[in-house]
Amino acid sequence: MTTEATPKKRTPVKRWIVLALFVIGGYAAFGSIGVLKPISPVVVLPAEPTGISIAGFPITNTILATLIADLVLILFAISAYRFSKSGKQVPSGMYNFFEFLVEFLWNSVKGAAGKWAPRIFPVVATIFLLVLAANMTKLFPGYEAIGYMKEIHEGKTGYAPVKLFDLGSIPVYGLDKNHPVIGAAHGEEHGEAAGGEAHGEESAAAKEMCTACEVVPFLRGSATDLNFPFALAVITVVLTQVYGVWALGPSYFSKYLPVGQLVSGGIFGLINFGVGFLEIILEFAKILSFGFRLFGNIFAGTLLLSIVGALTAIVVPPFLYLFEVFFGAIQAYVFFLLATVFISGATVSHHAEEHH
Amino acid sequence: MNDAAAFIAGMKVLGAGLAMLGAIGAGVGVGIAASGGVQAMGRNPDATPTIQTNMILGMAFAEAVAIYALAVALIIIFAA
Repeated sequence: MTTEATPKKRTPVKRWIVLALFVIGGYAAFGSIGVLKPISPVVVLPAEPTGISIAGFPITNTILATLIADLVLILFAISAYRFSKSGKQVPSGMYNFFEFLVEFLWNSVKGAAGKWAPRIFPVVATIFLLVLAANMTKLFPGYEAIGYMKEIHEGKTGYAPVKLFDLGSIPVYGLDKNHPVIGAAHGEEHGEAAGGEAHGEESAAAKEMCTACEVVPFLRGSATDLNFPFALAVITVVLTQVYGVWALGPSYFSKYLPVGQLVSGGIFGLINFGVGFLEIILEFAKILSFGFRLFGNIFAGTLLLSIVGALTAIVVPPFLYLFEVFFGAIQAYVFFLLATVFISGATVSHHAEEHH
Repeated sequence: MNDAAAFIAGMKVLGAGLAMLGAIGAGVGVGIAASGGVQAMGRNPDATPTIQTNMILGMAFAEAVAIYALAVALIIIFAA
């Protein structure tokens, strides 16, 4: 290929494919059989168990999604590592992306933390990459859509199941939009009815089939479970204290209990003592705002996608997906930036600039 | 008409909606932060990285108010 642009007659094939997909999507959403129509989602806040459990510990769908995000991250890391070992000088592909990402993160940490940057960087960059991977993998098709069916709660509207095909010995069901069923009162034993892509074998199929069904997905975005962002938030805030003690020694805790000022400072020492108490509350508020920021954005995004997807099946959702990609990246960056600022703030003495 | 459970459920949803009024302030705050950031970047394009970092930081703190409102709303709907 020369640098000069060779005039080539381009046949616009791809745009016709896209247009055909649009038409097929519109037909599937509005004109066709009920199985293909989008159903309105069931909003569930806590993560639901997938039925798998390791040593009595139930694996929820958000844990499964986090593990997949981890897997994706590890695969990318291995590919980047292999590229760096291969000795090629010109970065390409995934490695290029990683180089850009790490450089960007490093500059951000460097700007905020100064000489503590090398020690802070691994922690916050790990958080960024995990949150980014979790937010991006969650947008793949199949998340929140494939799962086992269960009887819906009393009074809510479920849909009748329709058998599609057999995957090996596992029957696969779809939900029929044209047959909404109001969930009836039912006992606990009906809760685990056999369902779409059921993980059980014949035993599951032999159980009673649900009549008004909802899908309990196998995979749900990690950050739509409160545990994921809160775990990261607790880790960050605890590490803030660890880095503070690492940098300043025991005098770090004088931020929270300014006893020295209480003895020497008079009335202002007393005020500072109260401020120290507020600092303790602030640390807990950090956990709260950290956790709910990520959770709120991602959960609201997921909700928006599924509800708008159910209302207008075509044209609008792609733009919302674009929006979600943007927001997933922004939230990962905000989490990373706040963690950086908090941790690097802890490494700086509060009174150094006042007295010296 | 005298269904107490339905009344409570409806009031819960109403309360959650009212709790989200707190997002108004956060929206205004984020807008002000963005406006100030863009003006600063327009005046001094060389300082863009610093301004951007601090702008996003300020936005995140302003947004925290909306997040507390969201937390209250979620607690009202799911926990209370």
